[in-house]
Amino acid sequence: MSMVGKILLYGRLTFRYPKEPMDATNFSASPRIDPAACNGCGECVVRCPSRAISLQPGTGIGIDYDQCVFCALCADVCPTGAARMTPHFELARRDRAALRHSPLVVREDLVPAEPVETTGRLLEKEIRRRFGRSLAVREVDSGSCNGCDYEINALNNPFNDLERFGVHFVASPRHADMLLVTGTATRNMERALIRTYNAAPDPKLVVAVGACACSGGIFRGSYATRDGIDRLVPVDVYVPGCPPRPQAVLHGILLAIGRMGEVDP
Amino acid sequence: MKEIRRSVAPDDLPDVATRLVREQGLSLAALFAIDERSANGRYLLRYVFTDRAAGSLLTLELPVAHDPGTFPSIAATVHAAALYEREIQDLFGLSPVAHPDARRLVHHGNWPDGEFPLRRDFPLGRKPPRAALEQPFRRVEGEGVFEIAVGPVHAGIIEPGHFRFSVAGEPVVNLEARLYYVHRGIEKLCEGETPERVLFFSERISGDETFANSLAYCEAAERIAGIEVPARARYGRVLFAELERLTSHLGDLAGICLDTAYGFGAFQFRMMRGWAYLMADELCGMRFLRSVDRIGGLRRDFAAGKADSLHGQIARIRAELGDTSALIHANNLFIDRVETTGVLSAEAAADLNVTGPGGRASGVRYDVRRDFPYAAYGELGVRVSEHNNGDVNCRMNVKIDECLASLDLMDQALDAMPDGPVLAAVGPLPPHRGAFGLVESPRGENLHWLETDADGNVARYKVRTPSFCAWPALCLAVQGNVVPDFPLINKSFNLSYAGNDL
Repeated sequence: MSMVGKILLYGRLTFRYPKEPMDATNFSASPRIDPAACNGCGECVVRCPSRAISLQPGTGIGIDYDQCVFCALCADVCPTGAARMTPHFELARRDRAALRHSPLVVREDLVPAEPVETTGRLLEKEIRRRFGRSLAVREVDSGSCNGCDYEINALNNPFNDLERFGVHFVASPRHADMLLVTGTATRNMERALIRTYNAAPDPKLVVAVGACACSGGIFRGSYATRDGIDRLVPVDVYVPGCPPRPQAVLHGILLAIGRMGEVDP
Repeated sequence: MKEIRRSVAPDDLPDVATRLVREQGLSLAALFAIDERSANGRYLLRYVFTDRAAGSLLTLELPVAHDPGTFPSIAATVHAAALYEREIQDLFGLSPVAHPDARRLVHHGNWPDGEFPLRRDFPLGRKPPRAALEQPFRRVEGEGVFEIAVGPVHAGIIEPGHFRFSVAGEPVVNLEARLYYVHRGIEKLCEGETPERVLFFSERISGDETFANSLAYCEAAERIAGIEVPARARYGRVLFAELERLTSHLGDLAGICLDTAYGFGAFQFRMMRGWAYLMADELCGMRFLRSVDRIGGLRRDFAAGKADSLHGQIARIRAELGDTSALIHANNLFIDRVETTGVLSAEAAADLNVTGPGGRASGVRYDVRRDFPYAAYGELGVRVSEHNNGDVNCRMNVKIDECLASLDLMDQALDAMPDGPVLAAVGPLPPHRGAFGLVESPRGENLHWLETDADGNVARYKVRTPSFCAWPALCLAVQGNVVPDFPLINKSFNLSYAGNDL
């Protein structure tokens, strides 16, 4: 078959998300723990590989979604079936605390290698007005496993076709309105991340993509990593996931420019 | 897999290693250290050679005293050793004597001297103060020679790394890649952890090789535990491993087309990659095949009741791949760009232990699936692609061949999969044992070493992904090509930064 034949044959492949919901039947997207069914045995707390589950006085059991790596081990080891995997993938939030069950503790020794320049940040509303229809995005991998980067790449495939929203990826931070940052900000990348941020013109947005960028994920606490990027650069939206699906990243981008809202499970 | 371990004296090592490689035709597949000072007051270096013809591994063990902390370099004659020796120098503080280029490798200028993170007395969370040390690149001097610095943040959506080109006019005279920007300290993070937790680290070494890495880890752990993986799980692992290879190769083929501005080709392959992801979703709900492997088999019987649907999807991709392959091969503008571009010589490929599609395109007749069979590959048989020119075109054709072979293997695995359990019960791992896991990842020979401590937790987890061996080969393949062809050559190898940097 010729090239033209192929183009005619396949027509439109693009998902209708977010106009219509994704068919999430098969997704093993995020864990949920039903406090009513939990017997407090603590098995998942001990075995969670990214230490994202905690029993808190008063509020009981819960998950820090900024830290969760979505491995489903809690669902596997739960003796009562309180923990289970759900297809809910739209987890992006503007406030990191809203993703957490336990209080956020910041290590004081994680001082940035050099400061960021945050003068000239416009009011949020103004940013949305300006970027709502045309957004230039620069992706920065600050130390990921490349999973998040492949999922961001997938936004350009015919199924997601990011450009239909007026959102496109640019080659230089000088042209960018938004930085899409993956990875924990490793020791060797932190200076590059800060310089990339400073190189992007104001006003600008930062979206942290994936568990590593949100909190350090499973790599937290090593000599070479830090606990997420938000001590280095100001973050507007956090997209949990390990890695988040392309549509979850899309939700995060659209949330940052006010074209989608936060979605309750 | 047969395995031989021998200890070797420092004085004999260079000679023995050189003869193994030059005369016996073995390949240096890994070289790594372990800090055993608390047990017996010294470090131990392991030199791992693969005998591909015999399907066996030979390990030479070299004890190294803390004082003076030196070991003889073999890099002058066994070139593949050069990077490993620099890695050991950075992470353990042991110096290779007479190394031809003993600069830093893992640590950048921000890391102070005298701090060695893989020594057992270095605490995991220690963050030494930032230093500002000079890190020279290799200089090429001469009239009209310029340097072009690229990275670490690249123009595309890819991982970070710094490339320093020395060019004379358009052609590249020398390329040096400075990596380790995504060094996360995975090997240190795994020290003292439970085997269960380390599995999740192994899945996060390199995103698009999730399954290959978790499989290599599980193979090693299962060898230590001495358990038999149920047959259904072994076939299931073939299914997942081939799905991962297919997904990865389709992405690379899209990238090759995109980097020649051949949009139609790129979108065809992206479409097929999207279809491959649909299979992953249907099988396990995780596009990156995470939480599929468990030590002892598979987490669930993922393939149960899905064979018909999967056969149909495999057939759809196979037909489309055949059509697309014919279309791109008929486009002489495209073929012009990929032919004779970025040639990696057979000699360099063998010398540097380049495996996987990059090696097979340059005449390396080696595939772990055939030569060191694991999972159910021994029963299924593997078709190994044979190409010789070593250019982008050959690497592309190897990947197309391998996509088709993967689709066939997935069909076969689904058909041949017996009924039964998918997960064997595994107790705590026995203490003080070590074992290798050797698998063929989408990028080539993937070797992991797992060693347990007194409690059966992880004492040492060494990961050597194929990218580690292939990065220097990429730098060689670029020489003599014009700078604008670099992205194309890079894409044809598509090496993992994260898998190299750990």
